[in-house]
Amino acid sequence: MAKQKSPEQKRYEKIEQKHEAKRPVVKNCIKAFFVGGSICLVGQAVSYFYMYYFHFTEQTAGNPTVATMIFFAMLLTGFGVYDKIGQFAGAGSAVPITGFGNSVISAAIEHRTEGFVLGVGGNMFKLAGSVILFGVFSAFVVALIKTLLLIWGVI
Amino acid sequence: MKRKPIVVYGLLVLVIGSLLSGCNQGEKTSEESRSSMIQSVDPEATAVKKGDHDVAEKVKKDVQSVPAIYDVAVIKGKDEILVAYKVKHMQRFHMKKIEGEINKRLEKKYPKENFIVSSDFKIFIEAIELKDRMEDKDYSSKDAEERLKKIIKFKKERT
Repeated sequence: MAKQKSPEQKRYEKIEQKHEAKRPVVKNCIKAFFVGGSICLVGQAVSYFYMYYFHFTEQTAGNPTVATMIFFAMLLTGFGVYDKIGQFAGAGSAVPITGFGNSVISAAIEHRTEGFVLGVGGNMFKLAGSVILFGVFSAFVVALIKTLLLIWGVI
Repeated sequence: MKRKPIVVYGLLVLVIGSLLSGCNQGEKTSEESRSSMIQSVDPEATAVKKGDHDVAEKVKKDVQSVPAIYDVAVIKGKDEILVAYKVKHMQRFHMKKIEGEINKRLEKKYPKENFIVSSDFKIFIEAIELKDRMEDKDYSSKDAEERLKKIIKFKKERT
C-alpha cells in the first residue's frame, strides 16, 4: 500500500537524489573480496594445521576449523578489532563463519548490563539464533530430499 | 575497567597453554611432509615387501599420466596398494571424475591388485611419513604394514 506522494515530497526527493553521495559499490565489493579472502586464507591455514598435527582428514578437518575460526572472531570482537574490520570490509567480514562469532559476542557484550541470565544468556543468540534455526532447518530439508531420492533410486 | 588486564592475561595463558599442550603430543614429522604443504615433492614409490618395488613404481607412472593431477605417492602393502595424489587447483571441481578415471585405469591394467585411491591431503602426508619411516632400517615391515592398514582405515572414516 504505497501512499501517494505529495508534490513537496516529490520535489524533495529530486533534490535529495542530487545531493546524495553515491554508494561505491565496486570499491566495496573489492574490499569485501580481499578481506573475506584473507579470512578464508587463515581458515585454510588452520585446517592444514589440524590435518598436519592431528588426525583429521580433509573431510573431517572442516568441523574443528569452523570452531577455531569462530573462536578467533570472538576474541577479536571482545578486543574491539573485529568492529573495525567489519566497518572496512562490510560483507567480507560478515559472510564467512567469523561473522557468526561476531554477532554472538557483540550481542553478549551489548546486553551485559542487564545481568548474566536475562541479559547475556537471553540475548546472546539474538542475531545468531536465526542462523542456527534456519541452518538446521534447511539442512533437515535437504537431508530429507536426499533420503527420499535415495529411497526412490533416483540417485 | 581495572579488572580487564587480569582477564586478558588469563585468556592468553589459557590459549597459549592449550595450544602448546595440544601441539606437543603429536609424533615427529619429517621435512618432506612439511614442505609438501606448499610445493610439489614427488615422493618415491615404495613397497612394504622388497620385491614389490617395481610394481609400485609402475603404478606411480601410470597414475602420473593423468593430466589433472600432480605429486603421486604410492605405497604397496601386502594386500592393498595405497595411491594418494594432489589435484591441480582448477581441476578440483572435477575431483569425483578424476578419482573414477584413476580407479578405472588401474583396475584395467592391474586386475589382480586391490587399490585404495585417495585425493585427501592427509592421506598424502601420512603416505610420505610412512615412506620416510620405511627408509629407516630398524623399522620392520610388520610395523609398516600395520601403519598402512591404519592409514587405509583412516581413509574410510567420515566426519
